Amino acid sequence: MRRLLVGFTAALLVSTTAACGSSDPSTSSKGGKAAVKVGVIPIVDVAPVYLGKEKGFYSKRGIDLTLVGAQGGAAIVPGVVSGQFQFGFSNVTSLMIAADKNVPVKAVANGVASTGKDGGDFAGIVVKGNSPLKTAKDLEGRKVAVNTLKNIGDTSVRESVRKAGGDPSKVGFVELPFDQMPAALDGGQVDAAWVVEPALATVKGKGGRVIASNFVDLAPDLTVALYFTSQQYAQKNPELVKKFQEATRESLAYADSHPDEVRKVLTTYTKIPESTLQAMTLPKWPAEPNRASLDTLGRLGERDGLLSGTPDLDALLP
Amino acid sequence: MTTDTPTKTPAARGRGVRQGPVDAALGLAGLAGFLALVEVVPRTGLVSPDYLPPTSRIAGALADELADPAFWTALGDTLTGWSVGLLIATVLGVAAGTVISGVPYLRRATASTVEFLRPIPSVALIPLAVLLYGTDLRSTLLLVVYAAFWQILVQVLYGAQDVDPVPDETARSYGLSARARIRHVVWPTALPYVMTGVRLAASVALILAVTAELVIGSPGLGARIAVAQTSQAVPEMYALVVVTGLLGLVVNVGARAVERRALAWHQSVRGEVAV
Repeated sequence: MRRLLVGFTAALLVSTTAACGSSDPSTSSKGGKAAVKVGVIPIVDVAPVYLGKEKGFYSKRGIDLTLVGAQGGAAIVPGVVSGQFQFGFSNVTSLMIAADKNVPVKAVANGVASTGKDGGDFAGIVVKGNSPLKTAKDLEGRKVAVNTLKNIGDTSVRESVRKAGGDPSKVGFVELPFDQMPAALDGGQVDAAWVVEPALATVKGKGGRVIASNFVDLAPDLTVALYFTSQQYAQKNPELVKKFQEATRESLAYADSHPDEVRKVLTTYTKIPESTLQAMTLPKWPAEPNRASLDTLGRLGERDGLLSGTPDLDALLP
Repeated sequence: MTTDTPTKTPAARGRGVRQGPVDAALGLAGLAGFLALVEVVPRTGLVSPDYLPPTSRIAGALADELADPAFWTALGDTLTGWSVGLLIATVLGVAAGTVISGVPYLRRATASTVEFLRPIPSVALIPLAVLLYGTDLRSTLLLVVYAAFWQILVQVLYGAQDVDPVPDETARSYGLSARARIRHVVWPTALPYVMTGVRLAASVALILAVTAELVIGSPGLGARIAVAQTSQAVPEMYALVVVTGLLGLVVNVGARAVERRALAWHQSVRGEVAV
């Protein structure tokens, strides 16, 4: 009986392993083009690469681009470092934190930037229409929702409070996904929320008010996110990284000057309702990161204890 | 599974005929009541329709979804993750369970390890899945297999323990071959447990497949729900949630049907009223 069982088990294991092995890894080149996977969050910020792919900015440089939607930076940074993606999209604070912890990341292209207009940015601190809160100073002793604690959200909200003459240490932060913030605000679970588009348009559409533009308060024309790769990949494939940089730069410039096409491409990878789509404030997509704004962000990150020291931007930035 | 043709007692057959439609009608009535409640609650303003749209609006969004080819691709991805994951978990669970229960030393050596590993939530393995496989199907599979494997393994272990020593010894003393003993003694005792394990695992596998897609972003209905969520497309999100619910219902009904067929000869099924 035992011998039979052993044979049976071995057969099963072999068949299972075969089944697992059948999913072959992606080939490195397809029709002479380099297959490149980019880990992106399916949000407004990454519209330029979708647009650039559609316009052929990548394929004309020999890049066969695949955009992989992941749920947030938690999946993207490890995905890039372990080689599942060749490039990824991440907010700059997350990249600084990663670099601070010696995770080998290297920014290659600009991602997205604040519009720099107070009250007219794609992100902001919002309250309900009937809320007594008027400015960021009023957030003292209140509960503010941010999507991730110890990241760009709470750092920039603290800066808004500071700028308005308040004490940022008196603000209570709670972690909530952006999409749940409009409901949490409506239901009174939080007093204020830091939201980005399209949640911002949703809140405004329900009569909510923007009491501060935290990205604008933090620095003029703040660079919010970047495209990055792993240091190993950058060292091994300098040519390809250069081509990706060029294609992305072209995509960013194109997106910045064609907002209608941006709104149109958004319908291909998000489900933003038409009314929200038109009401949304689009971010800015400059070709280059704003170094001065990143210096400020790094300094504030250090001050808030997110980073152990001043980030080495020369090593991180392209 | 078995060569026996299902033979029901006249009483059971009679009950099945009369009870089946009544139960189905009751089940539908319950569902209809729930749908009516979801229609009324947002309309009375108890919950804002912005966050919980009435049934009719969700139905409209569902119709739009069904017309979208991308929806069917997502459904296919979820079903692939679920079925492949369940298959791997079943094969591994039955194999490991058979080996472990066949070797007493192994059983004692692994008992505490199994109890230690079993309650670890599959979602805790998400960082590992992402590190190993990024956001593709294999990440979903890792989570599905981990969660479903224990359901089956533990049932196989229970099943093998439950083999009555008297028939087992009798079969031995009558000189039945190993194959015959498995066929006539071990298999009939263990099979109901295995089927229970598979039925439980089928539901767990579906939950984990959708969760993996939702959290990691691997392709499937879960990822589509996540996109609808971040897009503030509330009715579409609920429409997709409804689809996963229906899928769960189908999986459960299907698993029960398979179980009933496979165990038609067994007391637990013969005496069972239609579900």
